[in-house]
Amino acid sequence: MKRNPVDRLIQLAYLEGIITTHGAYEKFVVARNPRAVATPTARAALLQRLEAALAGKAVEAAPLTVGVFLRKVRSEQSLRPQEIFARLGITQNIYRMLEEDRLSPLKVPATAWKKFGQLFDLSADALVEMVRRTHQLVFFQPAFRSTLARYDGRKNKAMKAATIEKATKELYTRAQLVLPPEEEKKLNALLRSIIQ
Amino acid sequence: MAHVHNCYLISFLIVGGVVAQVSNREIVRELKAGDASGCRHLMNLYQDRLLGEAVSVFHVPLFDAEELVSDVLLTVIDKVGGFEFKKGDGDFHFWVMTIFRNRVRDFARHTAIAGGLAESFEEPALEDEAKFSGVEKEVIDAIVRQYAESVNSGDGDEPVGKAGEISMKLKVIEETLDKMESWERVLLRCRALEVPYEDIARYTGKSVQQLKVYHARVKKKFVKHLALHYPELAIS
Repeated sequence: MKRNPVDRLIQLAYLEGIITTHGAYEKFVVARNPRAVATPTARAALLQRLEAALAGKAVEAAPLTVGVFLRKVRSEQSLRPQEIFARLGITQNIYRMLEEDRLSPLKVPATAWKKFGQLFDLSADALVEMVRRTHQLVFFQPAFRSTLARYDGRKNKAMKAATIEKATKELYTRAQLVLPPEEEKKLNALLRSIIQ
Repeated sequence: MAHVHNCYLISFLIVGGVVAQVSNREIVRELKAGDASGCRHLMNLYQDRLLGEAVSVFHVPLFDAEELVSDVLLTVIDKVGGFEFKKGDGDFHFWVMTIFRNRVRDFARHTAIAGGLAESFEEPALEDEAKFSGVEKEVIDAIVRQYAESVNSGDGDEPVGKAGEISMKLKVIEETLDKMESWERVLLRCRALEVPYEDIARYTGKSVQQLKVYHARVKKKFVKHLALHYPELAIS
């Protein structure tokens, strides 16, 4: 196909945003019959990538746990752990376990959670949901661990473990995990004192 | 024009022999809700369309074009959460086209870094009907060379100032176009992107025949004006 250098030059200016066709080109793209057709393989591959990307976003949009939230905030705002735990009035060890979602929020006093909400400007609903999710995660973690342990003696252990780890993380954050009544009672007591 | 407008108001997709109407609003709603059918509708609407544009208008090799279109649609999925309709259903199409333009621009820059941009201008077309002089050819070469150099001088991370520096090298094109008559500008800009003469005729009020006849002359005039920005080449 013949390429005209003047056209190419003007195209470059269009691509760099120097000139515009005031929407004429963009409108015409809709009307023009596609001049290339993707192969069925390329279509299938693209669809798979798009669906995976959309599913990934859904996981991302799932409710956050305290650990996920703290890691995200620290990385986005370049904060050091001591800048956070000192303000919350908790020890470094407790902070570290919270950041790794290894400690139930029940072990942290309500006053610290109130400070947590103020520090990160969280609404009461968002804070309560985060605390609830985190407690569910920590409470059900041993059950998931024992499931994971069953894969220890099998082939491709590392790969399976990684896949299941990923799946459980998603499960923790998305599933409706029903706590036993006694745990629910303790959690509700904490949540009530946080929002008071 | 109304027909064109309607085309992006409602997209007709043939799914299993049944014609389904999926508006851009519907696609956006599906994607925002995490509904996987939004992915299929988006792909059906844009994959072939953008592939065709990348290959035939911007001369991106097919293999790269497929990857480029994937990137565009993945970006749409990634950013659709922040997208809002402001004027109408066509907003989404213009938004997708902006992402597409940016990806093709990135490809052009990478080609420039790899040293392939100048080659794409070394085509026999310059010798054709317009009969460009040696100086005029040199002017085009100089602009392409400067553009490639400004792209190459970046550190890869593309700081904010760099984009401005790159586009400055092409500013001369805008200045030259501004000195031409309005219909000439429209003709050059639209034909560079392969908008048909029939559509340009509607915008400019000139007949298709006139536009076809004048196109080569207008190009020649454009390059002549462009050469005025490079007096040193004219002297040499």
